[in-house]
Amino acid sequence: MADSYMGKFLLVDLTNEASRPVPTPQWLKDQFVGGKGFGAKLLYDLVPKGVDALSPENALMFFPGPLTATAAPSMRACAVTKSPLTGTYLDSFFGGRLGPEIKYAGYDGIIIFGKAPKPVYLWINDDQVEIRPAGDIWGTSALEANALIKDEIKEPEAMLATIGQAGENQVLFALICCEYNRQAGRGGAGAVMGSKNLKAVAIKGSRLVKVHDPEAFDKACQGACEEISLSTECAVYTDGGTSSAVPWSNEIGTLPYKNYYTQSDPQADKIGDEGQKKHLFLGKAACFGCPIRCSQMGAVRTGKYSNFITDIVEYESAALLGSNLDIHDPRAVAHLTKLCDEYGLDSMSAGGVIGFAFEAAEKGVIEAPEGITLAFGNVQGAEYLIRSMAFQEEDLGRLLSQGVKRASAVLGKQTMDYAMHVKGLECPAWGPRGTPGMGLAYMTADRGGCHQRGFMIGYDVGDEYNGVPVEMYQTKGRAGILIELQNYLAGTDALVKCDFSQCGVSPESFAAMLSAATGRQVDEDYFDLLGERIWNQTRLFNVREGFLAKDDTLPKRFVKQVLPDGPHKGHCVSEADMDYMRRDYYKTRGWDEEGRPEKKTLQKLDLDKAPVFMERP
Amino acid sequence: MAKTFFIKTNFDLCTGCSLCQLACSQRLLGGYNPHRALLRITHKTENLYHFPTVCNQCENAYCANVCPVKAISRDPETRALVVDHEKCVGCNLCHKYCPIEMAGVDPDLKKSVKCDLCGGDPACVKVCPTGALELAWRMVPDREEEAPNG
Repeated sequence: MADSYMGKFLLVDLTNEASRPVPTPQWLKDQFVGGKGFGAKLLYDLVPKGVDALSPENALMFFPGPLTATAAPSMRACAVTKSPLTGTYLDSFFGGRLGPEIKYAGYDGIIIFGKAPKPVYLWINDDQVEIRPAGDIWGTSALEANALIKDEIKEPEAMLATIGQAGENQVLFALICCEYNRQAGRGGAGAVMGSKNLKAVAIKGSRLVKVHDPEAFDKACQGACEEISLSTECAVYTDGGTSSAVPWSNEIGTLPYKNYYTQSDPQADKIGDEGQKKHLFLGKAACFGCPIRCSQMGAVRTGKYSNFITDIVEYESAALLGSNLDIHDPRAVAHLTKLCDEYGLDSMSAGGVIGFAFEAAEKGVIEAPEGITLAFGNVQGAEYLIRSMAFQEEDLGRLLSQGVKRASAVLGKQTMDYAMHVKGLECPAWGPRGTPGMGLAYMTADRGGCHQRGFMIGYDVGDEYNGVPVEMYQTKGRAGILIELQNYLAGTDALVKCDFSQCGVSPESFAAMLSAATGRQVDEDYFDLLGERIWNQTRLFNVREGFLAKDDTLPKRFVKQVLPDGPHKGHCVSEADMDYMRRDYYKTRGWDEEGRPEKKTLQKLDLDKAPVFMERP
Repeated sequence: MAKTFFIKTNFDLCTGCSLCQLACSQRLLGGYNPHRALLRITHKTENLYHFPTVCNQCENAYCANVCPVKAISRDPETRALVVDHEKCVGCNLCHKYCPIEMAGVDPDLKKSVKCDLCGGDPACVKVCPTGALELAWRMVPDREEEAPNG
């Protein structure tokens, strides 16, 4: 039976410079589908308890899904590994053009183990897999490496995953840059790649990706595209990407300002869609197969930082390298973001770390080197920290490159009050004081402080849920809503969907596309149970690593310091709020009081008797 | 006068999304792969520009001119240059001499493939979300010719 899977994974052992295909088992497709599902199961099976994330024993994996590489609109892929920043399960999603190419080369995923004796890159051309010396390409930026490798292999249409200098130097929040300039950004997958001496993966494939029922599939895709074209939310992304979230977030009082000291910024509009349209945007670019085209390509043409090409400064980067640092020239924010992209640093964590460092410097805890000012509003100071972290040049850069959790542990107790992270992952740009549901989302996200596993903000500020108004500031009922969101998103992350297109595409359309692609009929409820299975599988990994109730918490600032101003003045997410929501969440999930999935929960999800993918190579 | 239809490309509107290539490869080969489609997108200057390239349906068509078995001829309706797979011997000379590499032998079919405008209603134009591809025509004087390589 034709389906949209390619039938095999590519297993690469860098230590022994060997690779081989491994069949994709039917049970794995049935129970975990692809993308995040494959990642959750395979990381649990292949990476035993307690493995150092930067050791050769950790696995670095790339997974597209059953709809990736087809005409299903806006599909992506993910990188999965154990995070060196948090020690948790990590998946990081990327658009662009790399994910589909994995399937065109004939694979449902790439699984990389070991450590090359010297810097190398992988060149996968269908069945031909070469491990080639990286030579002088080691030491270049993520974008330079892309161009150099395409030249070297003489394949302008090859798709690349690269790391920059930050990944080579194992900065704990280094990213993987995916064709083209799309990031598997969060949690330090780039450091894992660097620890394996792997500069890049280049892929090109000539295989056809076929679907089970082309006619039904075409109809389902047309339906999904129609939904996208009618969606007002998708239209906002087409118009200005996520940049318009800056003024919105400011209006609803969630925009971090000065390391989250408060959550409103009087100058926010300058770095949002208004400022970016004026100073940056020129035209639109789309990820593979996406009609939304949220990416606004442009250039900084004027001012101190000209001339360079820039992508849109999406919301998280604009907020965390902009308002969070009290920087409001969109050209300066684009400059800092581009440095992060080139050196290969997660711009979100970088913004969190720099905000932390600025506050610590203003409080006299750390000292700026001569000629450098570390203070809010100082672009040069931010630029200095980005470089010194990426290149590991100074003690301060080396310390901060480990993230705010480790840095605050070294700098002393008081700094922990404003080290803004959950489980070590620097927080996203949605301050949760005033939006307790979002707080719970951070507390319980599988990879630490993440907003993409269940975005509660809209409901927290008064949207209806299932036709029922959600009351502001209440903790009651938040767990139930969040769990439904987390399950559905984890289920559709197995496809692998895009967070933006899913604002338009209905569960019915996802189900219709998946059914026609694979030949296995599923309905619109399918993703809820699938997602619950995947969510519990990632929890099993985290519990095995020792993460329990004590870790499902928020940074002190969100808990102890009420907001001094803005729409939610006087609010925080108190200890009592956290306790209530955590208990409610665990109970609704079918987890014990420490957050361990109960036996009956695992039985319901068939996780108690799931086969093991393979013995560790 | 006669009408030659062709696909006009507007690079200023192209976002590089490849929906056109997906539709094309599915129609041609029954599966998806942009590298196997009959049109190409070149991404330049850090993804700032996207240049679609499609068959020009040339009036002086080198692909047809060089074909040793006269397998490439004009469709009477659209005047698109169409490969007759009964005649094609898979020599790939059409690929060698097309200046924009828009014709050539497919590795599975072992026959030359090139854009035939889907008979007049091109799938790529239909799925393009921005109008970067549009069906256009040019007027050409009536001639006795017809076999373009004759």
